[in-house]
Amino acid sequence: MTDAQTETPAFTNAPVTTDALPDARQLETNPLSPKYRTLNLAIVTVVFSVLCIVATIVRFQQFVPVADGLEKAYPFVMVVLVFLGTTSFLYHLFADPLIRFAVREQDLILQKGLIFRAVVCQPILRVQHIELKRGPLDRMAGMAKLQVYSAGGSAHTFEIPGLPVERARQLRQFILDHKDLDAR
Amino acid sequence: MDTVPDKPTVSPGDIETGEHWQRLSPISILYFTASNIKKLAQFLIYVVPAVAVTANVLDLRDSPYAIPIGLALLFTLSASGVVSYFFYHFRVRDQHVEVKDGVFSRRHMNLPFWRIQNVKIEQPIYYRPMQFALVVLDTAGSAKEEAKIVAVPFAYAQALRKRILAYHAGEKVESAAQDDDNNAIAEDEEVLNRRSVRDLIIHGITNNRVWIILGAAAPFYDTVSDYAFSWLNARGLNLEQLVGEQSAAWWQVGLYTLTFLMLIMALLALLSVGGALLTFYGYTLSRQGDRYIRRSGLLNKQEVSMRESRIQVITAKQDWLDNILGRVNLYFEQNTSGSQQQQAELMSPNKLLVPSVTLQETQALVKEAMPGCRLYDTHYKPVTLRFLWHWLGVWIWPPALILIAINSYNQVWDLVVVIGLLAVLLSLIMVLRWWRWGYSADDDYVYVRSGRIGLDYQCFEKYKVQQVKVSQSLLMKRRKVASLNVLLASGNITIPYLPEDEAWTLANELLYVAEKSRRSWM
Repeated sequence: MTDAQTETPAFTNAPVTTDALPDARQLETNPLSPKYRTLNLAIVTVVFSVLCIVATIVRFQQFVPVADGLEKAYPFVMVVLVFLGTTSFLYHLFADPLIRFAVREQDLILQKGLIFRAVVCQPILRVQHIELKRGPLDRMAGMAKLQVYSAGGSAHTFEIPGLPVERARQLRQFILDHKDLDAR
Repeated sequence: MDTVPDKPTVSPGDIETGEHWQRLSPISILYFTASNIKKLAQFLIYVVPAVAVTANVLDLRDSPYAIPIGLALLFTLSASGVVSYFFYHFRVRDQHVEVKDGVFSRRHMNLPFWRIQNVKIEQPIYYRPMQFALVVLDTAGSAKEEAKIVAVPFAYAQALRKRILAYHAGEKVESAAQDDDNNAIAEDEEVLNRRSVRDLIIHGITNNRVWIILGAAAPFYDTVSDYAFSWLNARGLNLEQLVGEQSAAWWQVGLYTLTFLMLIMALLALLSVGGALLTFYGYTLSRQGDRYIRRSGLLNKQEVSMRESRIQVITAKQDWLDNILGRVNLYFEQNTSGSQQQQAELMSPNKLLVPSVTLQETQALVKEAMPGCRLYDTHYKPVTLRFLWHWLGVWIWPPALILIAINSYNQVWDLVVVIGLLAVLLSLIMVLRWWRWGYSADDDYVYVRSGRIGLDYQCFEKYKVQQVKVSQSLLMKRRKVASLNVLLASGNITIPYLPEDEAWTLANELLYVAEKSRRSWM
């Protein structure tokens, strides 16, 4: 809430220079729940381990004869699986802490990305509706995902993942209570 | 919503149908039958192979049941129209349109006037002698939520449209004065643009509108190609022989192919002109108060209305042929989140298209919709050269060089030449792309110019942004450039590789204007 914009009832029309505009770059940002990264790393580890184990079992089991092609493909499959697993593990390891969000009086801001950095700003007065989503794993970890829809289409939904539930509820309430939300 | 009194002050009986559910005019049976046949045909396209196979296997053609079954099918189809007619009811009262329809799955739809975004009036050819019309009511939501009042007198359709649209416009006006005003405006509806047949022929040539006709003819392709082959054969020109056995010299084949291609191109152009005439015949764009009305159509007349404030982006598109002829396709784009069908683009009110207008007309129309907009006479700043280096240095030349190296090693020289030429061609296109891409902003508007061989201009009002995104890779960060994505209700607009500071200044300003103005985007 570092925004300097205050709503004054009287009409003012002071000139605004571009330097004086609030800058979305200079912000105190908040991290996600620390469990978010842990959960992602755990998911990656489990999924790829299971895939590797399944491939190995299929390769070495004695019940059904394995096709010749499959036998030869096994090393490649393993290499690909291990490579994909390691990269996504490393990606989550380094990229997840870089997802940070900020809330200003008038908008929500999300920063993300390891190599391709992006900063998304969602003005609250353009919000159409909000969803709080919690999958089974999220519920286990006490996290929630906040999705904020604007009229720009569902492909561009503003989404803050991995929020602690309490924080997510607060945020949702903050957006719902915003006085501009129904100014359509 | 409560500011409008329950009782309209002027001619209350004009659109209200009262408590009782209304049945449509019997002419709607025609519409229902036609649309049922259409649905069946669309379904059949997928089933035809299966039916054909079974028909062959079971020898249905000789079966004594074939004709009765066909007749029964035909009868069912006509009857289905009648059934649909009996199951359809509607009423309009208290600023609500209510529709009950469906035979097996019943649907009751209640649309308040204020949720209706577009009103489209259609007149299929069989409605015209009796002056009936079909009213399509669009909401901002999904396509499934659209309601159709299938057959009402044309005058009623227009009155209904006027009332629904006036509902938005008149919210702040005193209701009595409002109705008078609207009646007055209705009489001096101002025509902004007409398209002559000549314009439409140009439009048909410069834009591929073939699918309008080809889409309908899809089931007959095989038959047509068989016929064409046998026709050519009958004239002593056996294509398979010609190509397969290489009995003719290569230049002969080349010439044949060229002639054939030219013929096809000419034919396609003709078809396309036909398509353009079919959709846009008698095109008028007019303005009535704060809304635009588009009327067009040869067989199926359409009337689409759209409030001016709904326009999110104005897009002026010119491909290379348009460029030579000095024509522009002008789109007034509004909220697209509800529509999924790309094919309906021409007809849809989501993109109000003014086909093949001249540059002067474009200027006038743009000024009309966005006063003070300087789409063509603003100074466009180019995006940085980094954009070009990125594309050449990452996506085009490294893979091309690797491929060239591999093929040189294998001494496959013709492939080397092809890859080299392709890479040069792509590079040239990217140079053009970089050269075209520019942006500019003034107090109210942001302008974006883009294109490769064609040239597109886009312009939007700053306060209508939905979301802003600034993105950059680590490499871009080092070079202090960033890409700006502006999300509008009509879609996404990208300005790539502009200086980091400018990207942020523009982003901050867009946010500021939107949040400060607190104006609605609709």
